[in-house]
Amino acid sequence: MDSGTSRRKFIALTGAVGLTGLAGCGGGDGDTTTTEADTQTDQPADTDTPADTETPGGTTTTAAATDLGSVTVGILNPMTGSYSSLGPGQRDGAKLAVKQINASDEFNLEIDPVYEDTGTTAGTAQQAANRVVQQNGAQFVFGAISSSVALSLNEFAKSEELIYFPGGAAVPITGSACNEWVFRFETNTAQVAEAISAYTVNNLGTNVWFHIADYAYGDSVYKRTKSRMQAANSDFTEAGKTASQLGSSNFGSYISQISNSDADAVILGMTGGDLINFTSQAVDAGLKDQVNIVGPTMSFQVVRGALGSKAEGTYGGVRYNASIDLGDNNQFVQAFQDEHGGRPDNFERVGYDSVRLMARGMMKAGSTDPADAKEALAGGTFTTVLGDITLRGCDHQATNPTWMAEMVPGDGKMTKVETLSKTPGDEALPPCSDVGCNLG
Amino acid sequence: MPGAIDVLEQLVNGLTVGMVYVLLAAGLSVIFGVMDVINFSHGELFALGAYFALSIISPLGGAGFWVALVLAPLLVGVIGMAIERTTIRPLYGRDPLYHILLTFGLVLIIQDLIVLGWGRQQQQLTVPEYLTQPLDLFGVQLSIYSYFMIVVGGLLAVGTWLLLNRTKYGMIVRAGSQDRQMVRNVGIDIDKYYTVVFGFGAALAAVAGIILGGYQNVNPTMGGDAIIPAFIIVVLGGLGSFRGAVYGGLLVGVVQTLLRTYVEPLEGLIVFLLMIGVLLVKPQGLFGQETGGHAEEEGDLFVGTGGGVLSQATRVKLGAVTVGLLALAPPVILTVTGNSFYVSLLNEILIWAIFALSLDFVMGYAGLVSLGHTLFYGVGAYASALVMLHLTSSFLVAILGAILVCAVIAWIVGTLSIRVSGVYFAMITLGFAELFYELVVKFEFTGGSDGLLGFDAVFGLAGLGVPLADIEATLFGMEFGAETAFFYVALALAVLSLLFARRFMNAPFGSVLQSIAESEERTKFIGYDVTTYKRRAFVISGAMAGLAGALLAIDPNTFVISRGQTLHWIHSGEVIVMTILGGMGTLFGPMLGAGVFLGLEELILGYTEQWRMVLGVIFVLFVIFVPRGLVSVPTVIQSRLRGPDEGEPGVTAGDDAEVSADD
Repeated sequence: MDSGTSRRKFIALTGAVGLTGLAGCGGGDGDTTTTEADTQTDQPADTDTPADTETPGGTTTTAAATDLGSVTVGILNPMTGSYSSLGPGQRDGAKLAVKQINASDEFNLEIDPVYEDTGTTAGTAQQAANRVVQQNGAQFVFGAISSSVALSLNEFAKSEELIYFPGGAAVPITGSACNEWVFRFETNTAQVAEAISAYTVNNLGTNVWFHIADYAYGDSVYKRTKSRMQAANSDFTEAGKTASQLGSSNFGSYISQISNSDADAVILGMTGGDLINFTSQAVDAGLKDQVNIVGPTMSFQVVRGALGSKAEGTYGGVRYNASIDLGDNNQFVQAFQDEHGGRPDNFERVGYDSVRLMARGMMKAGSTDPADAKEALAGGTFTTVLGDITLRGCDHQATNPTWMAEMVPGDGKMTKVETLSKTPGDEALPPCSDVGCNLG
Repeated sequence: MPGAIDVLEQLVNGLTVGMVYVLLAAGLSVIFGVMDVINFSHGELFALGAYFALSIISPLGGAGFWVALVLAPLLVGVIGMAIERTTIRPLYGRDPLYHILLTFGLVLIIQDLIVLGWGRQQQQLTVPEYLTQPLDLFGVQLSIYSYFMIVVGGLLAVGTWLLLNRTKYGMIVRAGSQDRQMVRNVGIDIDKYYTVVFGFGAALAAVAGIILGGYQNVNPTMGGDAIIPAFIIVVLGGLGSFRGAVYGGLLVGVVQTLLRTYVEPLEGLIVFLLMIGVLLVKPQGLFGQETGGHAEEEGDLFVGTGGGVLSQATRVKLGAVTVGLLALAPPVILTVTGNSFYVSLLNEILIWAIFALSLDFVMGYAGLVSLGHTLFYGVGAYASALVMLHLTSSFLVAILGAILVCAVIAWIVGTLSIRVSGVYFAMITLGFAELFYELVVKFEFTGGSDGLLGFDAVFGLAGLGVPLADIEATLFGMEFGAETAFFYVALALAVLSLLFARRFMNAPFGSVLQSIAESEERTKFIGYDVTTYKRRAFVISGAMAGLAGALLAIDPNTFVISRGQTLHWIHSGEVIVMTILGGMGTLFGPMLGAGVFLGLEELILGYTEQWRMVLGVIFVLFVIFVPRGLVSVPTVIQSRLRGPDEGEPGVTAGDDAEVSADD
C-alpha cells in the first residue's frame, strides 16, 4: 500500500505542476505566421496548348480561345433528411447544365461533376464537402438547400479557397457571413420579402402571425418580412410569433394557437417537408378559412404537388416559374422537359444557372483557377433564365426579380401559380449596408 | 391568460399525439415486461407499419386506408414474430446489453431496407377525405382526424387491457412478467408465448405508425424519431406495466403539447428531466411493480479474452509494430493515391478509437452499460470549439478545456447515474445525453441550430505556433498538409490514451472495477467503496471521450460543430457497436473495432448506399455468434483447431443469470 500512496502523490504533484505551468499560456495567442494564400492550386492535368482554332460562339468570353481543359465541380444536394424532396430537382438542374456546357462550343472547358449528399445537417454536409475536395480535387462547389448547411459550407469555401454557389436563401449567407469566395444565384429571403410583404399587409390583413422553423432561414424570413411590412403599412401589428424545430412533423399546437388568435394572415418561414406538413395539417384543421396563409416558398412545385388541392387559396412568393418569359428561360424549360420529362421549378433553375455562371466566370477570366474566376464573377452581368442579372460587387448576390402569387385551382390535382405582382431585380434587393456585407 | 377553450383545444392536441405514444409504448413495455428485451427496433416496426400502409393504399385509393389499418399491422406482427424467433431467441439468458445491441443492429438493417424499398423522400399517406375535415366542437376546432386518432388509440388500448386482464393468455403473460421462473415451475412453457407477445407488440406499433403517418407524413427517419419518446414513456410508466404505458403516453403527449404552447423554452427538456427524476426516485416507474422486476438483473457480459493466444511479450511487440506501421501510413497513402483523403479517414478512425476506448473503460471493466456516452464526445467537441473561438486557438488549451469540462460533467452525471444499475443505468445515461442534445440548440453561445463555425486550431501555445490549416511541407516529392500533421498528433494521443488506460487497469484500480462487475455485493463486503470506484471510472471515461470530441473539433476537416454529428443518440449506439465488434474489456479491441467499422463503411459505400444495412447484418451475426468480438477470433480458431477436448478460455463477468435473479 505504501508504494501505492506515494505513486498517487507523485501523479498528483505532476498534474499540479503541469497545470500551473500551462496556466500561464492561456491568452495572447495572436497569429504570428503569415498565411500562405495558395495552398493546393491544382492546375487541371490536361491543359491543351493553344493549337485550337475554335472560336467561342458565345458573347461572354474575352480571353484567348484556349481550351481551358477539365475542371472538377462538386455538386452537393440534400438527398436525405427533411429536404430530400427538394434535393433531386437541384441535382437535375445542375446535371443539365453540365451536359449542355460539355456539349457546347460556347464553352471551352469540360466540367467533371462529382455528386454527393449533404443531408440536411451540417455534419453530413461537411463529410460530403471534404470528400469532393480531397478525393476528387473539386475547386468549385455548388449546393445545399438548408441555410444552416450553406452557412457551414461558406466557411468551408473560405478556408479551402474554392468558389461556392449556395442553394440556401437566408440573407446572412451573402450578408453578415459573406466572403469573397461565395456567389449566390438563389433568391434570398429579403428579395422575396420585398415581393410579398407589401402585398400581404395591404391586401390580406394587417394583424400578422409569424410561424418559422427555428434556424437560419426561418429567422431570416421573420426579420425581413416584418421590417418590410412595417415600412409598407403603419397599421401593421404582429399577432404573435412561434417557432418549431426544423424537421418537426406535428404542428397541431401551433395551428391551434394561430386559429385562437385574431390574426388575419400568417407568414410561414419554413420550406420543404416542414411547409408541406404544416399546411396540410392547417387546412385539415380549418385554419385556411380563418386566416390567410402566406408561405414565401408555397409556390414550389414539390410543395404544391404534395399538397394537391389543399394549397388552393394560399399565397406565396415566387422565385421562379417555368412560364416566365425572361432571358433564355424558354430553351431551359424545353431542354429540361426533353431530358427529364417534367417542367423545371426553382431548385432546378438554381442548379442550372449556378453551374452555368461558374462556367461563364471561368470563360470570362480565361482560366479555371478559382481566384481568377472570382474576379471575373464579382460585379459581372450575365444572361440567365431570369433575364440579365448582376452578381453584385459588394455582396455577390444575384439581382433576381421576384413575384407575389396566389395558388389557384389547376387542371389536374396540383394548383397553379397565378402571379399577382412583380418586383424587378434592382428593387427587390436591399442595399449592401442593409445586409451587413461589404466586399468592395 | 389563455382562455379555457384554448387550453382545452391544446389538451385535445396533446391527447392526439399521446394516444399514438400509448400504442407505441404499450408494445415496448409489454415486450420488456415479459421477455426482458429492450427492443430498440420498435421504432422501425412503427415505421414499417406506415410504409406497408403506403403500399397498400396506393393501388386501392381512399378505401384502402381501412384495409391498410387492418392488414399492415398483421404483416408487421408476422415480421415481429420472425425477428423474435430467429434473432432474439438465441440470446435469452444473456445480459440485457446484448438485446439492446442486437435490436440496435436491427434498426440499422430495417432503416436501410425501408430506404431501399420506398426511397428516401417523405411521402404522404392518403387518408379518406371525410376524415380530414375540420370539426368545431364547443369552440374547439380541430380536424376530425384528430378525434379519429384518439378513438382508435383508445379502442386498441381498451382491447389490449381486456386481452391482458380477462383472458387466460393475458393472465399467463402477466404472470410471466412478474415471475418467469414460477410460471415455468407451474408447467407452462412461457417461451412459446414470447413469440406471440413480440408479434402483438409489433402490430400495436404498426397501428401507431399508420395513424400518425396519416396525420404527418411517412419518412425513413420516423422510426428513429419515435423510439426516444417511446423509451421515455416506458421508463416513466414502468418497464413491463401496460397501465403505466397508457398513463405515461397520455401524460407525455399532453405535457409536451402544453409546454410547447405556453412555456416554449422548456419544450423537449421537461420530458428528459422527468425521465431522469423518475429513474432516481422510483426507478420502477410510476406504475411499475416494487418487486419482481427484472430490470436490475445482469447477466453475463462477455469481456476480455482470458488467456488469449499470444503471450504478453508478443502482444507488446505486435502493438509496437502496429504503431510503427501506422506512423508510416501517410507517406505511403500520399505516394500511392496522390491525395490525403485516406489520411483524413485514418484521422476519423483515430478519433473514434479514442472514443471507443473511453467506453470500454466503463463498459468492459466496470460493467456499466452507458447508452449516452456520446454526451461527452459532443460536450468535448463543443467545449474545444468554444475555447478556440473565444479564448485561444491553441490546440493544447482546447484539448485541456474539453477534458476538464467533460470530467466535471461526468462527475455530476456519474454520481447521479450510478445510483441505479442495469437497464435503468442505461436509460438514465440516455436521458442525460438527450437532455444535452436538446439544450445545446437553445443557446446563442452554442450556435443555436446552426452550430459553431469559424474556429481554427493552432499547433502551439501562447502565441508561439503555426495555424494547423497552414501547415504545409513538401518532402521527397510528397505534399504533407494539415491532415498529416493532425494524424501524428492524433496517433500520439491515441497511443498515450491506450497506455494510460492500460496502466490504470493493471493497477489495483482495474482489479477492483472488474470485481465490481463480477459481483458488486462481494466487493462491498471486502470493504471497497464501490460508489467511488464507479464514479472515478465514469469520470476518467468521460474525460477521455471529451478528448476524442476535442480532436474532432481540431481536425482540419471539421469546419462546423453541430449537434447532429456529435450528440445524436445514434452515435452512442455506433460506439457501442465498435466496442463489441472489437472486443469489450481488452482496451485495444474497441480501437480495432473503430477501425473496422469505419473502414468497412468506406468500403461498402463504394458498392452500395445501404452500408448501414450491411454493417447491421455483420453486427447482428457478431452479437449472436462471436460476442467477444474480433480480438477473440484467434482464440476461437485456436480452440476449434485444438479440438473440443480443451476447455474454452475466456472470462465471463457476472454470475449465472438464473442465480442472481434470486438475489
